[in-house]
Amino acid sequence: MGILVSSRTRVLIQGITGKSGSQAATELLDYDTRVIAGVTPGKGGEEVDTVPVFNSIAEALEAVGKFDVSMVYVPPLLAKDAALEAIRAKIPLVHIFVEKMPVLDVAVVLAEAKRYGVRVLGPASVGAISPGEAKIGSIGGPNPSRVFSKGPVGVISKSGGMCSEIAMLITNGGFGQSTVVGIGGDLLTGTSFAELLMMFEEDPETRVVVAFGEVGGSSEIEAARLIKEGKFTKPFIVFLAGKFAESLPKDTSLGHAGSIVGLEASMDEKIKTLKDAGVIVAENFEDIPLLIKKEI
Amino acid sequence: MKLFEFEGHKLLQKAGIESPFFVVCENLADIKKARLKLKFPVVAKVQVLSGKRGKNGGIVIISREAQLLEFAKEHLGKEFPAEGGEKVKYIVVASKVDLEKEYYVSITYDTISRMPFMLFSEAGGVEIEEMVHKGEEVVRVGIDPTIGPKKADFRKISLPFDFVEKLWLAFSSSDARLVEINPLAKTKDGKLVAIDAKVILDDNGLLRHTDLEVLPKGAASSEPTERELQAHKIDETDYRGSAGSAFIEFPGDIAILASGGGASLLIMDAIAAAGGAPANYTEYSGNPSREKVEKLTKITLSKDGLAGCLVCGAFANFTDIFETLSGFADAILKMKTKVKYPIVIRRGGPKQEQAYEMLRKLAKKEGFDIHLYGPDTPMSVAAHRVVELSEQYKRSMEK
Repeated sequence: MGILVSSRTRVLIQGITGKSGSQAATELLDYDTRVIAGVTPGKGGEEVDTVPVFNSIAEALEAVGKFDVSMVYVPPLLAKDAALEAIRAKIPLVHIFVEKMPVLDVAVVLAEAKRYGVRVLGPASVGAISPGEAKIGSIGGPNPSRVFSKGPVGVISKSGGMCSEIAMLITNGGFGQSTVVGIGGDLLTGTSFAELLMMFEEDPETRVVVAFGEVGGSSEIEAARLIKEGKFTKPFIVFLAGKFAESLPKDTSLGHAGSIVGLEASMDEKIKTLKDAGVIVAENFEDIPLLIKKEI
Repeated sequence: MKLFEFEGHKLLQKAGIESPFFVVCENLADIKKARLKLKFPVVAKVQVLSGKRGKNGGIVIISREAQLLEFAKEHLGKEFPAEGGEKVKYIVVASKVDLEKEYYVSITYDTISRMPFMLFSEAGGVEIEEMVHKGEEVVRVGIDPTIGPKKADFRKISLPFDFVEKLWLAFSSSDARLVEINPLAKTKDGKLVAIDAKVILDDNGLLRHTDLEVLPKGAASSEPTERELQAHKIDETDYRGSAGSAFIEFPGDIAILASGGGASLLIMDAIAAAGGAPANYTEYSGNPSREKVEKLTKITLSKDGLAGCLVCGAFANFTDIFETLSGFADAILKMKTKVKYPIVIRRGGPKQEQAYEMLRKLAKKEGFDIHLYGPDTPMSVAAHRVVELSEQYKRSMEK
């Protein structure tokens, strides 16, 4: 089981003929994910690692049938149009791998997605993996089994690198993961911590959720509210990074556009709100496996 | 990128929003010239990106030339606020507006509803936090970015709708993250004038606004250091993978080359927890080219007095560790002064073993003090190690 992606998921890749798009296609196929088709305007009729390429989503739909996910792998200033094409074709989940998308474009995409009832994961999302089943995006790279293993822990992080890092820590600690999701570190993201918690709540395989939180933004606060309202009842472990940044001037932007000093809640406020809601706040990153053990 | 007030005014003017007449001054000669173009009383304002200008005496109404020169001498080239603030490069001298009413108005993004929204209050002139604290009415209206403001939604705001449209134009056409006018004045003859202008642009949108006339800014202050400027340029020519988009200089002696937006935060915390002082914050990720990493390494290590270097990142998904660390190797080989301080590297991911083999050979051949750790060593341990080694290095240098 797990969330967002399973062995039945039918995947389309927009920008499949590009460097990272074609690499993702090969990695997905190697992980037994069902990559049904790709789209690159002007390259219809070609093939990328056995996957047929079409000029548009409409053409792809007509030729091979419906998709569950479209992955967007195009340059940043073309990402808006690509994502809108997938949204208007009503593909239920649009994963945007693209980094550095202007925030206005992101806002337009998310508003349109809401109108069409489409879920967006990203932008700047590394993807999601349900270990042993399938993955979308570039999560785990060419060798996901090196760090990801199947089990009861759901993982959420803005950062792609931290998805793998946490999975490795948990795997080495003797626990597997149900699904690991990178939501992307931009100011606006299609899928939030809170929405993923709701999905993990419904997933029978997931018994505990671990999240990597950061300075800035309000995603952790939103998650805490959900728990207080009783909508998420499983154990939730959070590690927060970026304490050093609190000495920087307000509005300083760090590695993730969404981690901006002084935006919404301060670090101490976050810790307090999370603890008040009954969330387990990990003091040290390396303590996470031990905290999981206590809960399972 | 945060803009100076006068840059913000220019951006608003393009969208048809008026400002008081003002002159930007860099020195006393400019001030004297400005005085001739304006009638007293005038408003003198220091131009800094942070710090509460009003509360700290950076905005003053002035009615005599001597007073104006005194204000300029007190602030130009000095730190604002005094002791530890930003260096003041510009002072704006503006004509004083006779205002009847002060509003607060802004547009920014709501990260929860994921939409732009306008905030409006009839009690402008004080900070928004203070307004909320005092219980003043603050009206909030969401804006659908696909169509812009809808007239019906703005009936509860006592501003003419064409002003709302102008502000939206200023916000959307410049790819801003924030446009804030506080106060927005209603003059005696009924005109709306932006007395202040706070604008933050979206760095990801800058590429489509090469025509915008704004001065380069540092990561944490108005004046970028040379290294900050150089680092920001790396990503301009090639969008694939990022290197140096975020670069902040610190007074410490441990150079940091972190990988990953999340991991970089953890690493900085870990260095601080281990008692070390970072020389910088920077980050490369998303599989940047070898050349990009080489450039970023050169810039990072160009600082004098370094006592250690940490190259550290989370387990990479798709960043080619061999390529990126080859870029690091290219850079340390080309540094003008040989790198003698300890280098701690902790990476994992595609082609990591191959990369470490290359680095081992390099260290042996060239005599670099490189300490390699695989993904099974926690990042915090690597951070601790570089602090420890740099202390040893400093002691050995003293002898």
